[in-house]
Amino acid sequence: MIIINILFGLSVGFIFGYILTRTGVTKYPRVMGMLLLKDFKILKFMLTAVTSSMILFYLLGDLGVLKITLKNLDWGKFAGGLVFGTGMGLLGYCPGTMAARVGEGKKEAILAMFGMSLGILIYAFMFPLIKPILLAGEVNGDISILLGINRWLIIIPAAALFSLIIYFVNKNFSDNSKIF
Amino acid sequence: MDNTKEWHWFKGGILVSLLSVATYFIFAALADRNYPFGITAGFGFISAKLGVLFQGLEANPVIKRFGEKPDAFIEFFTLIGLIAGGYTAAKATNTFSKENIPAVWEKYYGKNLVKRYIVVLVGSVFLGFGSALSGGCTTGNILQGWAHLSLGSIVAGVSFFASGIITAKIIYLKLGAANDNN
Repeated sequence: MIIINILFGLSVGFIFGYILTRTGVTKYPRVMGMLLLKDFKILKFMLTAVTSSMILFYLLGDLGVLKITLKNLDWGKFAGGLVFGTGMGLLGYCPGTMAARVGEGKKEAILAMFGMSLGILIYAFMFPLIKPILLAGEVNGDISILLGINRWLIIIPAAALFSLIIYFVNKNFSDNSKIF
Repeated sequence: MDNTKEWHWFKGGILVSLLSVATYFIFAALADRNYPFGITAGFGFISAKLGVLFQGLEANPVIKRFGEKPDAFIEFFTLIGLIAGGYTAAKATNTFSKENIPAVWEKYYGKNLVKRYIVVLVGSVFLGFGSALSGGCTTGNILQGWAHLSLGSIVAGVSFFASGIITAKIIYLKLGAANDNN
């Protein structure tokens, strides 16, 4: 069983890394270009993936073949998100693309992999302090339950909104603009 | 067909969504829970291994979670797979290059390695801390969490961008200035 777990992990990572690098979303100027609101290739890529998998996930969920685990809301999501974003702005890539960049020969990404692990270790040390402040009082992560409406009344508008954003940025911004 | 050209965002996006859904099934069978694929727990696995260097961390809930749960073990190998995938794609497109620091950074902040490496270390510690606190990184909270319409992930993802945009603006305040001087 351990061998299967290892092979599964390796294959998912390999395919994911191959797609990320081939699509060019691991590039430092692209990530910074997105955060500077000038190059939206990564946003288009992400929203395409989100929209497509959202529809697939919920279709399969309704067919009963898949059960989705939702992430609840607490203050940690917000505070952690702000810390993460600051890190992404400083670094110019995120954890997944960081590993792919190591494969591309970018030496500083090796240091980043160490720093990322160190950051989680620091979190572990601080967890007893953080828990009562930021992780108490969870709100259910399922918007359809909170609003008491059918899930598809959220999925369809969300898909429409994401598609509109993709259409808008695709029309107004080039993927190859010289920003820097 | 040009093999070195970047893939279109649509092609990449659709492929990731297929991978994402397929992985969900297999993960559920292997890790005994409906767990989306992510990256953070893989780094958490490394942290848990580093944690043994410190006394009294054995009982720490974060270390226990990343050290014992099968998804963290699987995601550790996902990280190794990512490195191999990035390497293969870079070789296939002739873009493999042993680069110390990004060229754009060098243009604005110079060749000083120590300066960049301090920023890299601080940035990556923030990434690690932030993704552990918010329950996932770009993969777990956006590619997966947004697709599930998880309220927690929507808040986390919006916060990623909000502070990322501000930080990027501060770093490249003089955007274009380097060009003007040429």
